[in-house]
Amino acid sequence: MNLRLLHRRLAVLMSLAGLTAFAGGAGVEPFSAGLAAIALLTALFWHPGPQLSARMERVWLPLATVLVVRALAHVFVIGDDVVIPVVDLLLLLLTAEALRALDAPNDLRLYALSFALVLAATAYRPGIVFLVAFVAYVGLATVALMVGHLRRRAEQHRIREVPLGRGLVVTTASLSGVILLVALIVFVSLPRVSQGWAGRGETAATSIAGFSDQVSIGEHGSTILANPEIVLRVEFPRGPPAEIGGLHWRGRSYDRFDGVRWTRTQALPASMTPEGWTRRWSRETIEQRIFGSPLDTRVLFALHPVLDIDAENGIQPLSDNAGDYTYWGSSAPSYTAYSAAEAPDPAALRSVQGGYTPSRTHFLQLPRRLDPRIPELADSLAAGLDDPYDRVVAVREHLRSFRYTRALPATAAEATLHHFLFERQAGHCEYFSTAMVVLLRSLGIHARNVNGFLGGQWSEFGNYLVVTQNEAHSWVEVWFPEHGWVTFDPTPAGDGSAEVLASWFWPGRILFDGIQHRWNKWVLDFGADDQAGVFSRLFAEDDTGVDTSDRPPAPRPPPWRTLLVIVVIVAGFAWARRGAVSLAPATLVYVQLREACGRAGLGVTPGTTPKALVQRVRSQRSGAGNAAERVVDLYLRARYGRESLGESELREMRAALSTVRRTLKASAP
Amino acid sequence: MTPSSGPASAAGWKGGPASEALWSLPGRMLDRWRRLRSRRRVRFTSGGVAFTLGTVSVSFAAMNTGNNLLYLLLGAMLGFVAVSGWLSEQAIRGLGVERRHPRSVTVGHDFRIVYDVRNTKRRLPSLAVEISEAGLPQRAFLAHVGPRAHASTRSVNSFVRRGIYPLGKVTLSTGFPFGLFRKERDVDIPGEVVVWPRTDRPVRDPAPGVGRAPRAGVSARGAAGTRGEYRSLRGYRVGDDPRDIHWKSSARLSGPVIREYERDGADTLWVCLDVRGDPGEAAEVAIEVAAALAARSVAQDRAFALLAGDALIEPGQGPGQLERALELLARVDFLPDAPAPVPPISPEACVLVGIGHRAGFGDVLAVGPGARLQPPEAGG
Repeated sequence: MNLRLLHRRLAVLMSLAGLTAFAGGAGVEPFSAGLAAIALLTALFWHPGPQLSARMERVWLPLATVLVVRALAHVFVIGDDVVIPVVDLLLLLLTAEALRALDAPNDLRLYALSFALVLAATAYRPGIVFLVAFVAYVGLATVALMVGHLRRRAEQHRIREVPLGRGLVVTTASLSGVILLVALIVFVSLPRVSQGWAGRGETAATSIAGFSDQVSIGEHGSTILANPEIVLRVEFPRGPPAEIGGLHWRGRSYDRFDGVRWTRTQALPASMTPEGWTRRWSRETIEQRIFGSPLDTRVLFALHPVLDIDAENGIQPLSDNAGDYTYWGSSAPSYTAYSAAEAPDPAALRSVQGGYTPSRTHFLQLPRRLDPRIPELADSLAAGLDDPYDRVVAVREHLRSFRYTRALPATAAEATLHHFLFERQAGHCEYFSTAMVVLLRSLGIHARNVNGFLGGQWSEFGNYLVVTQNEAHSWVEVWFPEHGWVTFDPTPAGDGSAEVLASWFWPGRILFDGIQHRWNKWVLDFGADDQAGVFSRLFAEDDTGVDTSDRPPAPRPPPWRTLLVIVVIVAGFAWARRGAVSLAPATLVYVQLREACGRAGLGVTPGTTPKALVQRVRSQRSGAGNAAERVVDLYLRARYGRESLGESELREMRAALSTVRRTLKASAP
Repeated sequence: MTPSSGPASAAGWKGGPASEALWSLPGRMLDRWRRLRSRRRVRFTSGGVAFTLGTVSVSFAAMNTGNNLLYLLLGAMLGFVAVSGWLSEQAIRGLGVERRHPRSVTVGHDFRIVYDVRNTKRRLPSLAVEISEAGLPQRAFLAHVGPRAHASTRSVNSFVRRGIYPLGKVTLSTGFPFGLFRKERDVDIPGEVVVWPRTDRPVRDPAPGVGRAPRAGVSARGAAGTRGEYRSLRGYRVGDDPRDIHWKSSARLSGPVIREYERDGADTLWVCLDVRGDPGEAAEVAIEVAAALAARSVAQDRAFALLAGDALIEPGQGPGQLERALELLARVDFLPDAPAPVPPISPEACVLVGIGHRAGFGDVLAVGPGARLQPPEAGG
């Protein structure tokens, strides 16, 4: 293929990769992006002649002027985001350059414009598409720059044909692997000194029902039916807990129920569990590293009870009076939550005999028009049970005898609580949790409704828990003095997200999500802590401090530091050795003779000819003259007489050189 | 014992051979390192400057914003620099270079240097290698030398002044693969080129006298020439007519031997170049006048002799005689205190060429102090 044509095509492909990188991160106006993509694809196969190219110039200039005016108007008149108009201008310039005549020397402009698109994409939080486009961009740039350089040099020296074999192109392209490796090393090793980049503009939030300030019964049901979108990815650095499907990812609590809606009281007194109480639940904690999708309600989900939350990517966690966690910040939440590993022992809960209660009214509130059968049912369930814990369990077990269904009630009358309790006896989680709270409150037990997610699917590809919107769930928290809010889930087991798991796309979805999760975790949100973790693993040594004298000696870890130093030294030495020049043996000896004479102060300059060198040695160090002459004679024979010297003559040359060196050294002042 | 109390301690104080070697070790290592590295130079191209500034800017932005994608981009840019450094090194290492060129060239004529390049690398080709000589503007270019392959290329230059030009270092350079940086490596290949003065300067025909008795045993008659009376045998010199080879003597002496003939001394043009004066353009013009006289004599199939300073070229003719004269004229230096020319024959039989007029010679071609060289025609 013609070198010019190959180079132009590579540069256009670079531009397409740049466009993809930007579109994959920030999004562009589909119209302009589509036009630019069509123009670039056209430029792959068609190029105008010089005359047509000159005529097209007259079109590009007014168009570019219009776009410049538009960008200025966005800045100074409209006050809107200037990125998209500027990117449109970039795309126009890119198109104009790609559709120039082949002999136009515009390769550097094509490089710069495509690079500008990639650079602009980094201002956002692009997904995995950016990674693919970036890798393609690096590979194409490696070959395009090489071919472009060869093209320019060949044209400068008026060489028409450059034997550019396919193997060379493939080899050069493979060097992009080295470039990416260097990029990886630099990426991991360069110290992070700032807080991290949240991405330009607001992150597109997923709308989700069930976590706003008021929730109607049935909202979760609609969520469960509708959406397999992933909302949480949870890693367990210390290993996942045993029953991963039963984990309750607590989100928001609701204290007020009017018969249809759950709401949150604005002026709720402080009703979170005192920290010292939750510490009694279990000595062990579960560490959860949670990567949440951006939701329209900024709730932090975690296992109950939360002991602490560390935010990682610039969000600010906030705890309200109910003990729920929300956050401030626009980026997708990424945080580590620490929760008690186990619920309190039933015996401990039974032994509670009164104590502090956060509010005497808020968590006993009942709807005004409560069906009288409900308190009667509560009383009947608690008959003969004095202990609050036993009463709670009795109510829960009663509800668990109902049937779980995701089928929504057909009419408004069927959506009521009493219809659920006494007629239908089937429903989804919100009915169960609401019914349990109302029944418990009828018995004088402080309880509240809690929304969140239940369980999740374990991703073998990424070793993390995937929680989707399908797993939205409601349950109940009951106040026990000296223990705080304890979780009870009255919903019987159902088929959950089995349909999703059975669907054909789920394995692919999990695989893709694993890649996306790694990208987010190890690239977009890679921070100083991750960096420290990488290096501590790399240079890990046995520093646990545990006395191991009575154990068999463990194998020592590889001495990474020492190996690294050795590799650096060897690499440096090899690099230095490459400075040695490959010369013919006779020439090498002659050059060494010149160097020796130069060091001895005989005034050897680049213009000193071989015979003049001998004269200089003879005149100033007469003892070395004959030996120097012998070296020069043999050199001239080999160099200009085109004789190949034998081993004996080379030995003679070297011996003569040694003689000269010795004599010069001995006669040195 | 104090350091100054005995010979042993005194020797120790000054440092014995072992300690001296130890102390000088860092210096020697540094010297060795410098000598190794001095053979490599890296220069920025304009694209490389832009790329480096871009890299610095991206690194600045990455550090300040903490944007990990900028770190990734920075890493890729540094990767390009690293690969550029490695590949450019591969392009110029393992190359053996031989230089071929004519031993002499006339001012303004094309001087072609042919470079035979041998790639000793087993797998990697060398691409986009330029070969240049210090002081010569035009470079030779090799687009591709395959592994374990040979290739030849050439550069064409021209000289504007006569003289002896040393050809020392051959510089191999490449901007491969990306044109961001230019890596250079020097290879010492000592040599020289003799640049002859121009011989086409318009000069009037000189008219020297016949002269009186010869001096210093050199006869105006009996000068070596062609097709006169046989005079003697001598060794072959470049430019001699092969028809004059005496084959029997050549066979006996294992080398070409030439017959010399006597010719009429009246036909010999004696050119005396007076090298007294300041070096400069006038001196160069005088040398060109002498060269033109010599060339014209050869063109007219006439013998000539040349005296420049204390160097003498005995009477002779033909291309070989002209080469010897041009070789001498290429090397001659003008000096204010140089000795006056003393020809071995009567000065009245000689043509004097010099700066300013001198008396006593048969004819004088005097070059004025304001004489200027003519610029050589391109292509020569």
